Amino acid sequence: MLAAYFLLRGEFDWPTSLTWQELSSRLDSAQGWLLDQRTAEHPNIIFAILDGFRALAEWLVTAFINALEWLTWVGTIAASVLIVLRFGGWRAALIVFGAFVSFALMGLWEESIQTLGLMSAAVLLSLAVGIPLGVLAGRSDRYYRSITPVLDAMQIVPAFAYLMPVVILFSVGPAAAVICTMIYAIPPAVRITALGIRGVTPDSVEAARAFGSTAAQTLFKVQLPLARRQLLLSVNQTIMFALSLVVIAGLIGGRGLGDVVTNGLYSNAALAILAGIAIVIMAIALDRATAAIAERTDPTRQHLTDEGRRRARIMTLATLGAILAIVLVARALGADALYPDEFETSTTVFTATIHDDLLRWIQSALDYVQDPDSFIFGITEPIGNFLLEYFLEPLRLVLVETPWFVVLAGLTGMAFVLSGRRPAITAFLMLAAIGVMGVWAVAMDTASQVLVATALAVAIGIVIGVWAAESPRVERMLRPLLDTLQTLPQLVYIIPFIYLMPVSRIPGVVASVLYAIPVVIRLVTSGVRNVSPAAVEAASAFGASRMQVLLKVKIPLARESIMLGVNQGIIMVLAVVVIGGLVGSGALGDMVARGLQRNEFGEGVVASLAILALGIALDRVTQGQRRVQPR
Amino acid sequence: MTDSDGIAAVETIEQVPAAGVSNGEPVVRAEGIWKVFGPGADKIIGTPDAELSRSDLQRKTGCVIAVRDVSLEIKPGEVFVVMGLSGSGKSTLVRTLIRLIEPTAGNITITGRDVMQADTGQLRELRRHTVSMVFQHFGLLAHRRVIDNVAFGLEIQGMPKAERLARASEVLTLVGLEDAANQFPDQLSGGMQQRVGLARAFAVDPKLMLYDEPFSALDPLIRRDMQDEVCRLQIETGKTMLFITHDLPEALRLGDRIAIMRDGAIVQLGTPEELVGSPADDYVANFVRDIPRTHVLTLRWIMRDPKPGEETGGPELDVTTKVNDAVPMAAATDGPVRAVENGRCVGIVDRLSILQAMADRPEETEPSAPGQGGRPRTPADRSSPAGGSS
Ligand SMILES: Nc1ncnc2c1ncn2[C@@H]1O[C@H](COP(=O)(O)OP(=O)(O)OP(=O)(O)O)[C@@H](O)[C@H]1O
Ligand SMILES: [Mg+2]
Repeated sequence: MLAAYFLLRGEFDWPTSLTWQELSSRLDSAQGWLLDQRTAEHPNIIFAILDGFRALAEWLVTAFINALEWLTWVGTIAASVLIVLRFGGWRAALIVFGAFVSFALMGLWEESIQTLGLMSAAVLLSLAVGIPLGVLAGRSDRYYRSITPVLDAMQIVPAFAYLMPVVILFSVGPAAAVICTMIYAIPPAVRITALGIRGVTPDSVEAARAFGSTAAQTLFKVQLPLARRQLLLSVNQTIMFALSLVVIAGLIGGRGLGDVVTNGLYSNAALAILAGIAIVIMAIALDRATAAIAERTDPTRQHLTDEGRRRARIMTLATLGAILAIVLVARALGADALYPDEFETSTTVFTATIHDDLLRWIQSALDYVQDPDSFIFGITEPIGNFLLEYFLEPLRLVLVETPWFVVLAGLTGMAFVLSGRRPAITAFLMLAAIGVMGVWAVAMDTASQVLVATALAVAIGIVIGVWAAESPRVERMLRPLLDTLQTLPQLVYIIPFIYLMPVSRIPGVVASVLYAIPVVIRLVTSGVRNVSPAAVEAASAFGASRMQVLLKVKIPLARESIMLGVNQGIIMVLAVVVIGGLVGSGALGDMVARGLQRNEFGEGVVASLAILALGIALDRVTQGQRRVQPR
Repeated sequence: MTDSDGIAAVETIEQVPAAGVSNGEPVVRAEGIWKVFGPGADKIIGTPDAELSRSDLQRKTGCVIAVRDVSLEIKPGEVFVVMGLSGSGKSTLVRTLIRLIEPTAGNITITGRDVMQADTGQLRELRRHTVSMVFQHFGLLAHRRVIDNVAFGLEIQGMPKAERLARASEVLTLVGLEDAANQFPDQLSGGMQQRVGLARAFAVDPKLMLYDEPFSALDPLIRRDMQDEVCRLQIETGKTMLFITHDLPEALRLGDRIAIMRDGAIVQLGTPEELVGSPADDYVANFVRDIPRTHVLTLRWIMRDPKPGEETGGPELDVTTKVNDAVPMAAATDGPVRAVENGRCVGIVDRLSILQAMADRPEETEPSAPGQGGRPRTPADRSSPAGGSS
């Protein structure tokens, strides 16, 4: 490939004869047609359904927000904290309390409530679809086998890529945000639910059958209660996925914190960062609260006797009573629906938030990191430039300027060697499709960012992962950090780097590295850890040093997990790299962002499709042989 | 428990000759059960493929024959033991009886009702009221208290809560766990957990109890306790039981009759005495090799006819006395001991025959096929039809 690059540099762009020129204008007119259909007096049945769904989603979002506002801000805090206290314990309740206090002090109460409302609606709808499907897949092997490839495929698609098509079908607004979230959050809900049902000991299920249970009795008396913890964890994951997307959904008319971030990126950096912090706090609080509830209400560990059950019921009633009392008192005393910016007493007016102070602090921090003389700048600037100069740009040039057929053949060949024949065919078709759509060069730009970021993530991930596998102490220290990193919405990763390394493609790349690292670390650690002790023992018996054991035995034997890390890493990196399009990393992400912001629908959809194709191609190139074995 | 109304009664089955256990029509009657796992399973039976060895069949068709043409009858009140090495098809066999695993072929009747013809509802009724099962790994429900576990079968039947809890605590008392009613399975030891499993099976007052290696997961001392428990419950309640084990002492302790399985087929079916006294082939002989014969064999197996003119006085012992238990008396008298049945002398046992029985290891007596000559007189009422192995 390199030889071809030097010999034939820049000579062979993707030929126009192989491009479907009118694609994007066709899409534009299709969009116009769709718009006409939707607004027509007598929409046909499909559009009636779409519209009905949109109305339902919008109604749900509004209902949730109205409910929270009816509770008043006092009641909202009381209800959340007391409910979490009752079912999740005081630690989680404290975190939730802290979260609401920070939303209030940050002066982002209203936005937080909007985000919560949006997310709750999305979660409710996702679970309404995901849990029944998951239960089905948990009970039927056939159904499970048929649905698994679909779920796999859905998880390859970066969330950013379906904003555009959804907007076209549902137009901008909270409904579109809810739908996007559902597409993103349903697969994990289905998968975890199915795994939960499948994880129930077959002995218990067989016993139920042997005693003459009907299918429904087995489900409700045995499988669901025993899988309860897993089901709640799937709720937890659904919430985290939903939050991750609700934030991006700021771009397509989802209001709330995401909106503040996506708008602030261009106009008010400090505000964007503040909202980003609020999102992080919300993510952590939601995660801890739902995880604690899942743990503590697990009937197999709770050991509720009759007495305990009665007491639990009383506690629940007391909690509900207390919430009601607080809400009524708060309303009687005239508490505001939303946390106010200032409190008035008869004599004075207090500022109720530290919004302005926070903004000022953040701004000064921003000024510091962006000051060419500062210490931090002295570190971040060269790193960014170095990455750009020596990795991103050269690789981009190689991919873009090497004749297209050489790149195509090279990537297909790699897929064939690493993964086998069928993945290679798929990868070839996907790459060819990218060319036909006329975005070959742009896509190669994105690919270069993805490859650099993946290489970095995998390199760092392997080093840390191996270290953690060798030293339990390191692993213990890493675990909470990794847990937290894994709960953060994708967009949040990018925000700090926009300001820390404000050079074109760098924020997206660095953020995506950070986003992918935890998963790579986890996979490498478990891979190295699971190397059979017998092999290690044998090597040690031959007098291998610890380093030799590591390099010659453990890492080679853990190759499969590392390969899996590469595969998962590349998909995660792609998801974030395209979001980087919002902040100037160019390439496909930029086309989508422009499509969304300037209504260039055709271009946006083409870019979305190209992202999808690129995702599938990269997945097939790196998937390795693993999917050959039935799972 | 009232049995379901829906299941068609099968025509009265011809009377089986009086068994050692009880008269009456068999609780279970299974004929020609096959279970083949794998693709195209039903096309294997009756073809030459069915005669292939396990590995050949697997290579050729991808199928495994787990149960091979098994027939058996279990009489009311009988404890019927199925024994065999791991993988011989015991679990599969017992599950096919109530169609937890669908048999590939065969006829099954339980308490006179045709199981194979039963529809889903009838099958459920059968499992709810007539048959209950105890599992190797207990199969308890971790999210329920012990008493709710015991009441599970009754709950499934739709019995009201108060009633089923009352019944469950009754049964818990029966297995000596009344104090643990409010605890959870994971708070109990393995032995106690299996008592809960027993209680759950007993609670529905079934006609037939199936045990699939219920005690294999327990350590030897507790296993013995539990065996005693089963013996006691069986005597107290007179339940019919099908008991699976791979532990020969357990089989001999509990079983009225024992079927030995290999590769899915029954190779011998008989009383403990018959298995130990005349193993059908090397496989069975190997199984029973380490069992002290005198603990199993009765006087009937070693007695001989009195020689003409031999003294017919002397001490008497019932003909069903174990050889081992006859030793003290034989040692205390000079002359032979008379074996009596229903007050009538049926044979003579002397020290020599006892010593021979003690010295006699199965591998030294040439194994003889059942029904062949060359073995001690087999008591007529004990000679079993040897199920499907014929
Ligand atoms: N679901 C299945 N699919 C394919 N083969 C099976 C299945 N279940 C059992 N078998 C095979 O059928 C044979 C009999 O299995 P079974 O569990 O009945 O043996 P077992 O006598 O109960 O053994 P163990 O003492 O280990 O419990 C085994 O060879 C097993 O591999
Ligand atoms: Mg078994």
